[in-house]
Amino acid sequence: MNEDALKLTTYFGERDRAGGRLLGDELLDVYGGHGLQASVLLRGAEGFGRLAHLHTDRLLTLSEDLPVVSVAVDTRPRIESLLDRVLEVKRKGLITLERARLLSGEIGAVRLPERLGEATKLTVYVGRQERVAGAPAFVAVTDLLRRRGLDGATALLGVDGTRHGRRARARFFARNAGVPMMVIAVGAGERIAELLPELGRLLPEPLLTLERVRVCKRDGELLATPQELPGSDEHGLAMWQKLMVHMSNAATHDGQPLHQAIVRRLRESGAAGATTLRGVWGFHGEHPPHGDRLLQIRRHVPSLTIAIDTPARTALAFAIIDELTREHGLVTSEMVPAFQALGENGGEGGLRLARHEL
Amino acid sequence: MSAWVWLAVLVVGGLGAIGRFLLDSLISGRAGRELPYGTFTINMLGALLLGLLAGLALAPTLYTIAGTATIGSFTTFSTWMFETQRLAEDSEIRRAVLNTVASLAAGFAIALLGHAIGVGL
Repeated sequence: MNEDALKLTTYFGERDRAGGRLLGDELLDVYGGHGLQASVLLRGAEGFGRLAHLHTDRLLTLSEDLPVVSVAVDTRPRIESLLDRVLEVKRKGLITLERARLLSGEIGAVRLPERLGEATKLTVYVGRQERVAGAPAFVAVTDLLRRRGLDGATALLGVDGTRHGRRARARFFARNAGVPMMVIAVGAGERIAELLPELGRLLPEPLLTLERVRVCKRDGELLATPQELPGSDEHGLAMWQKLMVHMSNAATHDGQPLHQAIVRRLRESGAAGATTLRGVWGFHGEHPPHGDRLLQIRRHVPSLTIAIDTPARTALAFAIIDELTREHGLVTSEMVPAFQALGENGGEGGLRLARHEL
Repeated sequence: MSAWVWLAVLVVGGLGAIGRFLLDSLISGRAGRELPYGTFTINMLGALLLGLLAGLALAPTLYTIAGTATIGSFTTFSTWMFETQRLAEDSEIRRAVLNTVASLAAGFAIALLGHAIGVGL
């Protein structure tokens, strides 16, 4: 399968509830009930939303209600058919829709359209305990991506989700073999197109998406600034932008972990929100793949900070991130064609997709 | 110990824990995140009060309820250690050492001060 797809992402708090149940459970029941091709629930390490309340796993009492992100991918009609249900249960937080290309099963040669050439974001969905070529699937995939010269990749552990329509949820006393994980990678379109058949042969049941992205910074080097987007498209539909920073948890800025410095400065600047996810394995730029080792004091896992905002405020957010990532980090920007923020005092945005030629 | 003492320990122990949770949320929500100020404040306050109670030489039962149960559940060794480990994990080794040494040194001095005040009263 090689189809036009939509990626529905929701950002909310771990403790948010819908009709007496945890929102994360409720949403994944919807995704599982619809048998979505790919969906995953990720637990964040730190973040804030439109109310600027900071949640962090650094301090015990502030680690209640950490940020949670859910990602769901399927064909456009299938995602559109569950939007109403998602809006019914999710009354707080943020929802975005992005265009993606969904590949599964036999992966043939892929020709990425010329305008996709700038850079591509590749997301590979694998099972937690899935093993290929004698190694955990996420390690094998990450190593392949590094060998093929991509700019970076971060493997994130899911706690619930679906792959090929099958639901798998993490439990405390279980192997959790099929619980989905995602490997998010960024690199030149041609390189990704070239390695896809190889990735198809490596994985028994490949499931992946391709999206357009711009690589703004790599290891402190400024390559490009985020696309300058108008606030809305020609039909008046608003557009948003997403910045992502891939870095090592051990990277610091003025003695503070880099991801924390970014979240703190964005919060002080009045940004709409930011979320940090901690990965389990990954690389970026020239650094060898890094993860945790037994009995280490400092953690060397990768961290991924995501900030979504209006184009005008994204330019400000990028200036802050540019200053903080003088030495470390892989910074990318993307256009977000639909964004809806929901809260007690009303909402902002809507879920009709804006269209803008970059 | 009589049944009512056990009951009192149960109740005030719970109140001490709630007090810690509320005070920690209040401080952590306002103070900077560079160091775990909430836990530090709680432990220092606990050391002062426990020193004070010891200095006052209360009746054994009263001391059990006010000291062991209330202050014991209000203060927290585990959170102090957990947050220190979290600092170290995030490569903030200097802050982790500071969090340990400052709490030990200040805690000892404050307990001593509390005791002196209690004896004086």
